[in-house]
Amino acid sequence: MTEAAASAPAGAPAESPNVLEARDVRRSFGGINAVQGATMSVRRGSITALIGPNGAGKTTFFNLITGFYKLDSGSVYFDGQAIGGLPSYKIARLGMVRTFQITKALSRMPVIDNMLLAAPDQPGESLFGAVFRPLATREREREITEQAHELLASFNLDKKANDYAGTLSGGQRKLLELARALMAQPRFLLLDEPMAGINPTLGARLLEHMQRLRREEGVTFLFVEHDMDVVMSHSDHVVVMAEGRVISEGTPDEVRADRKVVDAYLGGELDDVSEGGE
Amino acid sequence: MEEVAERRGARPLAFLGDSQRRARILTFAAFALILLVLIVFEGLHDVLQTSINGLSLGAIYALGAVGLTLVYGILKLVNFAQGDMLAFGGYIAYLANVTWGLPFAVAAILAMVFVALIGVVYERGLLGPMRERGAGILQLLLISIGVAFILRAIITFIWSTNFKQLDVNRTGTKEILGLSIGDTQLMVIVVGVSVLVAVGLLLRYTLLGKRMRALSDNLDLAETSGINTRQVILITWIFAGALAGLAGVMAGAITDLKPEYGFALLLPIFAAVVLGGIGDAFGALFGGLLLGVVIELSTLVIDPKWKVTIGFAVLILVLIIRPQGLLGKARTV
Amino acid sequence: MDTLVLGISTSGFNLSFWVGVGVIAGIYAIVALGLQLNVGFTGMDNFGMAGFMAVGAYTMAILTVDHDISFWLSLPLSMLVTMGFGLLVGLPSLRLRSDYFAIATIASAELIRLVAQNAQGLTGGNQGIFCSDDFSRCYDDAWVKVSDTINGWFVDLGMSDPPSALPLLVVAWIIAILLTVALVRIQSTPWGRVLRAVREDEDAARALGKNTVGYKLQSLVIASAIAALAGWLLALNLATIHPTDYEPIVTFFGYSVLVLGGLANYWGVPLGAIFFWVLVEGTRTLEIFESESQQVALRLFVAGAVLILVMVFRPQGAFGKREEMMLGD
Ligand SMILES: Nc1ncnc2c1ncn2[C@@H]1O[C@H](COP(=O)(O)OP(=O)(O)OP(=O)(O)O)[C@@H](O)[C@H]1O
Ligand SMILES: [Mg+2]
Repeated sequence: MTEAAASAPAGAPAESPNVLEARDVRRSFGGINAVQGATMSVRRGSITALIGPNGAGKTTFFNLITGFYKLDSGSVYFDGQAIGGLPSYKIARLGMVRTFQITKALSRMPVIDNMLLAAPDQPGESLFGAVFRPLATREREREITEQAHELLASFNLDKKANDYAGTLSGGQRKLLELARALMAQPRFLLLDEPMAGINPTLGARLLEHMQRLRREEGVTFLFVEHDMDVVMSHSDHVVVMAEGRVISEGTPDEVRADRKVVDAYLGGELDDVSEGGE
Repeated sequence: MEEVAERRGARPLAFLGDSQRRARILTFAAFALILLVLIVFEGLHDVLQTSINGLSLGAIYALGAVGLTLVYGILKLVNFAQGDMLAFGGYIAYLANVTWGLPFAVAAILAMVFVALIGVVYERGLLGPMRERGAGILQLLLISIGVAFILRAIITFIWSTNFKQLDVNRTGTKEILGLSIGDTQLMVIVVGVSVLVAVGLLLRYTLLGKRMRALSDNLDLAETSGINTRQVILITWIFAGALAGLAGVMAGAITDLKPEYGFALLLPIFAAVVLGGIGDAFGALFGGLLLGVVIELSTLVIDPKWKVTIGFAVLILVLIIRPQGLLGKARTV
Repeated sequence: MDTLVLGISTSGFNLSFWVGVGVIAGIYAIVALGLQLNVGFTGMDNFGMAGFMAVGAYTMAILTVDHDISFWLSLPLSMLVTMGFGLLVGLPSLRLRSDYFAIATIASAELIRLVAQNAQGLTGGNQGIFCSDDFSRCYDDAWVKVSDTINGWFVDLGMSDPPSALPLLVVAWIIAILLTVALVRIQSTPWGRVLRAVREDEDAARALGKNTVGYKLQSLVIASAIAALAGWLLALNLATIHPTDYEPIVTFFGYSVLVLGGLANYWGVPLGAIFFWVLVEGTRTLEIFESESQQVALRLFVAGAVLILVMVFRPQGAFGKREEMMLGD
């Protein structure tokens, strides 16, 4: 909301170690309190997992902090800047890029166009630039095309570059969405169940990518994942949501030992919590 | 993720309940206020007299709107052919009532049956198969426009572009409480409102109505839970067709028939539907009546030539301010 | 509706008649190019083209007749006004879901038309605007001069009696072709790519930092500028501007042309326009029916049949790619 955008980030100085701070974020739909007071932070350079049973409010929380839903109340800071109330496209331009749980491949566009679309700073994306700056446009187009092909190759999608994205398999779409998000050169990447529906080999590849990007480019990750093995082995911080609240957070080991977390999963074995499919 | 049309800002008047209830209460409050102001400045008699004209117009809108909204609720199709289906009903009644000389009531029933039949053919012959093939919103929308054209073409071909009149007594009036009410007007109001209330009760309290609601909440879910969706959809079309046919006859009773008169009613019917919250039958009923009355009342303060414009202005205004409708239950838009 | 076509007898091959058909086809090609930008490339089901055409035509005529502005200056001015209307209609309605947007735009167009019909003082109301006996309300003098000049050239080229609508045919099609070229080129830029992304999935585009509302507004405003072009040409063709010339059916015929040519394909549009109007008017020349009513019926029937048959059997249209229609949703 607007008051969040206006007021100074009291406890979130620019030099904060946290790339994301969300405080008491709330949102309800009709009678359903999808997110009822979620407070969490994500450390810069970390790979943080967001877990919780189905319907816990993870996706809604993503939508709230990335500007896709309006906050009922609460505040969100990205790198110390209040972003609650900002439109989603502006948040994305700040470097906070998200993917969707239900993949959003741009079906009737070639794979390569999906990629090029995401690249920032293309002067030809404005009508003025497209008409009056053809040279700059072409130059930038060359750069990003090269970049796009490299990225596609690393996801084994380069042979599909000129196919319509709608012809890709479910797993390939998931990869394309990730590759596309990377094209946007994010500092902070939010992935909603990136591993769901892709085969283990590609999943492993994706995880490698995350580790490498964090290492080499300092990208921070927040990802929702139901596979506990992946969460435990690949994240350095885990946040647990249930019924719209953050009920626990800490290192994977701490969270695993937390009684509340086990209860939230209806006493079930953490390891058995697997994605039931969309 | 569906698109969520949300309003920014704080929520005043929270004490009135959730936003939908608030909208409904505010709408009626605003309407009551307008009525009051008009009564003070124009006099009770004029306001009541005009409201009666409005009710007959509104009953016609409501008859058309309920069918449109039922179909939309289940199929998510904005049926652009609704207006011309309505006109077809009027002309069938003309055929029976004037050409064959049958009583008006019989003609009205024939019209309802015939247009219901059009609905069945439209669904089974065209829309159903297209949905099975996975046709998109635009595709179905354009098909409905095509059907509208074909229906109007048939009307024009058979009955020409000349005006036609049903055999009803348009001059007889009754005096009730000092108000003069045209006989046909009274008939339109009585028939329209009683049919609509009957339909409303049927939808609310019968198994069929429950199933229709189940379908409009979630078609796939209804299907997997064992409801014969094909049958329910067909019955919905029969309702929509019969009500459109009746609306056409009623409209034909108070105005002349010409091939475009159905299409001309389509946008006010859209307005009634949107006012009531698209997909909501009761909303459409009230939306239609309210719109009819508001349009007629406007003639008390502005030149009557603008009254059709009022309908569109209301439609656009509601779309801007509250696309999920003022009267019905909440839906995301 | 009847006013849309020259009331010329149609026995045998009649050059004037077919030139008239060609003018109409050119005008509808332009209308459908605007629709193609919105519907085919941005995914906005704009049903308000007729309203924007009316704004373009009326503003042009009102400026020329009532405000002593030259015809040539009135063109850019009226185009700007029309674009303003595009903005006005778009701003509140763009956030609506597609079927609501369709209703909102058709209602806006009807509102515009009804205002034109009732604002007697401004628009001439039900009389419309035309060259009256005392020549006081002629908006097309400047054009008639140009038209005569062009027909003079045709005479010089050896044509004995060129049809009076021939210059308009030439101009309408030059505009249609230039517009097609321009739109094809702009579509191939990164700007056009963002439009397509908006059509495919607005959320995805926003997640990648695109101001989708801004792009939709641009698309709609450009389409309204295109509608102004079509509105002028229609006004010049009919030599009168009348509310009934801008009924929703004009937009619907635009859609018929659009789907015939195929979605997401600009070059299909002019071809679709020719095909559609030859079909609609060609059936008239067959003289199957005598009465005017039956002729009207036939035209409605053909237009309706085109929409239904194309949507059922070839939803991608004559020249569209199959994937464009089938991969979506
Ligand atoms: N747009 C919406 N309208 C109404 N209810 C919603 C909406 N979005 C989410 N909800 C509700 O909010 C609750 C939280 O849903 P959410 O999708 O955020 O859960 P989640 O943790 O992502 O679950 P999952 O693991 O299944 O993806 C659910 O009860 C859901 O039905
Ligand atoms: Mg989720």
